[in-house]
Amino acid sequence: MGKKRDKQTDADLVRDVKQGEPAAMEEIVKRYSNKVYNLAYHLTRDAHAAEEIMQDVFLTVIAKIGTLTTEAYFSTWLYRVTTNAAYGYLRKEKKFSEQTPVEDIDQEQYLEYDWTNLPDDVLLSEESKEVLRKSIDSLPEAMRTVVVLKDVEGLKNEEIAETLGISVPAVKSRLHRGRLILRKLLSEYFSKYTEPSREEE
Amino acid sequence: MNCKLCSALFQEFLENSLSEELIVEVQEHIRTCSKCRVSFRTYTVTVTLSRKVDPPCSVSPETLDRLRKVIRENFPKSHGAVV
Ligand SMILES: [Zn+2]
Repeated sequence: MGKKRDKQTDADLVRDVKQGEPAAMEEIVKRYSNKVYNLAYHLTRDAHAAEEIMQDVFLTVIAKIGTLTTEAYFSTWLYRVTTNAAYGYLRKEKKFSEQTPVEDIDQEQYLEYDWTNLPDDVLLSEESKEVLRKSIDSLPEAMRTVVVLKDVEGLKNEEIAETLGISVPAVKSRLHRGRLILRKLLSEYFSKYTEPSREEE
Repeated sequence: MNCKLCSALFQEFLENSLSEELIVEVQEHIRTCSKCRVSFRTYTVTVTLSRKVDPPCSVSPETLDRLRKVIRENFPKSHGAVV
C-alpha cells in the first residue's frame, strides 16, 4: 500500500504483478491500454476488434507474466502479444487484404512531381487518407508491421527489433522499402493533381 | 555526394543519426539537385502522413472500466490479492 505506482519502472510493476499485487496490474493497464488499443486498431482497422484484442492481451499478461524472465522487456513483449493477436484476428476473419507482390522498388526511381506542395486539405483529404490506409494494408505483412510500429505508432527502431525478434538493420531495411512503396502509391494517387498541361492530348 | 548515396541516407537523416559532415553533404546535395530534392520531400511527407492518417486515440472510459472489471475478476487470488 501507498507505493507511488506511477513512479515505478515497468520492471518493478511486473515483479509486483508476479507477486499478486492487483494495484500494479492497474498501473500497467493505465500505462499501456491506449498503446495496446491503438496498435490493435491500426493493424485491424476495426475498433470493436481492437477492444476485444486489448482485453485478450491484458488477460494474457495476467496468465503469462510468470514466463517473462527479462522484466525490462515488458513493453516489447506486450507489443508482440498485441501484434500476434491482431494478425490472429485478421487471419481468423479472413480480413487480410490482398497483398501487392513487391517488385523491388528502384531506389533510384525519382519522382519528378513534387506533390508535397499540395495544400493540406488535399494531402489530408478523406480520400487521400483512405488511399494511404489501403496502401499500408497492401504491404507484405513483415513490412506492414514495421511501418505501423514505426511511422504510425512512433516506436523506436530498437523497440521494434525487440518486439519482432529481428535485427535493427532488418527493421531499417523493411521500413525503408515499405516507405518507398507507400511513396510510389501516394505519388500515383496525387499525380491526378498535376497541372493538366502535362496530360495534353 | 551522388544521387544514389543521397537517397540511401534519407532514413538516417530523418532519424537524426548522421554525422555533422554527412548532414551538410546531404543538405548541399538536396539544395543543388532538384530530383533528390523532390525525392527527399516526398519521402519525408510520406512518413509524416502515415502518422497523421489515424492519429492515436484514447480508449473510452466505459471500455476502460469494462477492462478493469475483467482484469479484477481474472486476477489470480491465490497470490493473496487484497481487494
Ligand atoms: Zn541527386
